[in-house]
Amino acid sequence: MSSTVRATLTKVCEFLLTTLLVSFFTFAAFSIIPGDPARIMLGTEASEEQVEQLRVELGLNEPLAERYVKWLDNAFRGDFGTSLSFNTSVGDLISSRLPVTLGMSLIALIIVLLVSFPMAAICSKRPGKPLDKALSCAGHILFAIPPFALSMMLILFSANVLGIFTAGRYTAPSVNFGSYLSSLLLPSFCIALPKIAMTFKFLRASMIEYSQGDFVRTAKSHGLTDLRIMMKHIIPNSMVSSVTVISLVLSDIMGGSLIVEQVFNLPGLGRLLLTSIARRDFPLLSGIVFYLALITVILYFLADLISALIDPRIRDRRNV
Amino acid sequence: MRSFNGPKRYLITGTILLSIVTAFFLIGLFWTPYGINSTDSASKLMAPCAEHIFGTDNLGRDVFSRCLVASRYTLLVSFAGVATALLFGTFTGLVAGYYGGWRDKVIMILSNGVMCFPGILLALVAVAIFGASMFNVIWALGIVFSPTFARVYRSGTIELLDRDYILQAKIMGVSPTRITLIHILPNLMPQVIPAVITGLANMTLFESGMSYLGLGVQPPAASYGKMLSDAQSYMTTAPWLIIFPTLMLVCYILGLYFISEWIRTSVKGGSR
Repeated sequence: MSSTVRATLTKVCEFLLTTLLVSFFTFAAFSIIPGDPARIMLGTEASEEQVEQLRVELGLNEPLAERYVKWLDNAFRGDFGTSLSFNTSVGDLISSRLPVTLGMSLIALIIVLLVSFPMAAICSKRPGKPLDKALSCAGHILFAIPPFALSMMLILFSANVLGIFTAGRYTAPSVNFGSYLSSLLLPSFCIALPKIAMTFKFLRASMIEYSQGDFVRTAKSHGLTDLRIMMKHIIPNSMVSSVTVISLVLSDIMGGSLIVEQVFNLPGLGRLLLTSIARRDFPLLSGIVFYLALITVILYFLADLISALIDPRIRDRRNV
Repeated sequence: MRSFNGPKRYLITGTILLSIVTAFFLIGLFWTPYGINSTDSASKLMAPCAEHIFGTDNLGRDVFSRCLVASRYTLLVSFAGVATALLFGTFTGLVAGYYGGWRDKVIMILSNGVMCFPGILLALVAVAIFGASMFNVIWALGIVFSPTFARVYRSGTIELLDRDYILQAKIMGVSPTRITLIHILPNLMPQVIPAVITGLANMTLFESGMSYLGLGVQPPAASYGKMLSDAQSYMTTAPWLIIFPTLMLVCYILGLYFISEWIRTSVKGGSR
């Protein structure tokens, strides 16, 4: 038991270290901007006094290490400073846009899980049969289409053929939760499709591997039904590889939603990010970057914990 | 199963798809039916016909000519980006795998840190700071992709380290540089080549995404991502503006993907 505690503690330390590193990367990236950041933000027409004032405001005259500690301290209290172009707190801006990006990522993840598991289970039962070939081939093609191109095709299809969807319609969750979900459904689907292909491929391979195991043959000779073997023996075994894949897929989903919300005209973090890049609003940009990276780090950490929790083999191996 | 769906089919399909892209690239180097930025107000938004086989866009530019030329930027960014990633990834991966210990820890923690940023985000930040240009996109994506290669090299090196011929070389006093370059590096090719090809495909996905956002290859150069974002306002009336650039991207990515699948399934030791 104590070794389990130690293993968990090691993971927590790793997590904290990674968080610190990510914060340092973010801070460093915005400190090595060639030239004077204050000058860049204000443009060439600003006077010396204005630039100097902004330098003081941003704390650019203090030493780098001091600025980092200060920035980190503020960041962990949820204070990322004030946006230069919106003139409001970066934290508020981010939290107002978060429902779109986070909601989309979450729905996409659920779609990935709901579709790829049954698909992989069906295909792994009869590998090489027409159904398996057709689904695998579809997976290859889906994987190769860039998410934004896929989104456009789906918008075209749903608008012209089904006549049900117009891009750019968005309702805040506080107004009407149902229409909030439905406005995010198609974009989430577009992010999910290529990831379904990826998850399906991994799951299929691991399920085929496990369904050839001795324990499956034994279960079969005991007269267990195929469904029971699948649910009780094959799926639990392939859970571990699925957690690994999903943690890989997660950061792709977040990155994908940044682009896809642009296609669908949704007011999410991606739009805010692009605005901040276009307006050279570095406090806002660094806030968004750190926030997104932090979410990913936390998700990786959770995936790591979960995979150790559900698989005694990993738990034991790490303990040694 | 093997005869029909086996490795050979991947090879054939992949080669056909990639030769289409290569043909576009080679033709585009020497000849295009129209200038890529020559506008023609008389023929705006024309559907595919004999004169403009891929149609024209909202400014009357020939989509076929633009597709011919855009292939060169897609190829350039993906190859240069993967080369950059290989440069970083090979060095760090070999050092981490060969020496282990603190060097390994430091490199792995750093590469974990890089991998925690959603890839496109890191590249976008680099472009935001240093300005949108093809060169910046290449090195930014190179850094984003280098941990993937570092991991492949590291795990491969660790696997090879206790082989007899490596031990023999160590006993004979061969220098670490020579061991890694002469004895380890060539033996890792079966793992590295599929990773490189998949890297090319992913790089293309990222590059097109950044160009779509207007932060990748800059006009007046034509790129598939930018063509798609320009086409978005006209997509219901002129779907050919979307279909042909997408098809070109899919051709390239799917072709690469099939080839890497072929290598993985047919080369021994390639599949892990």
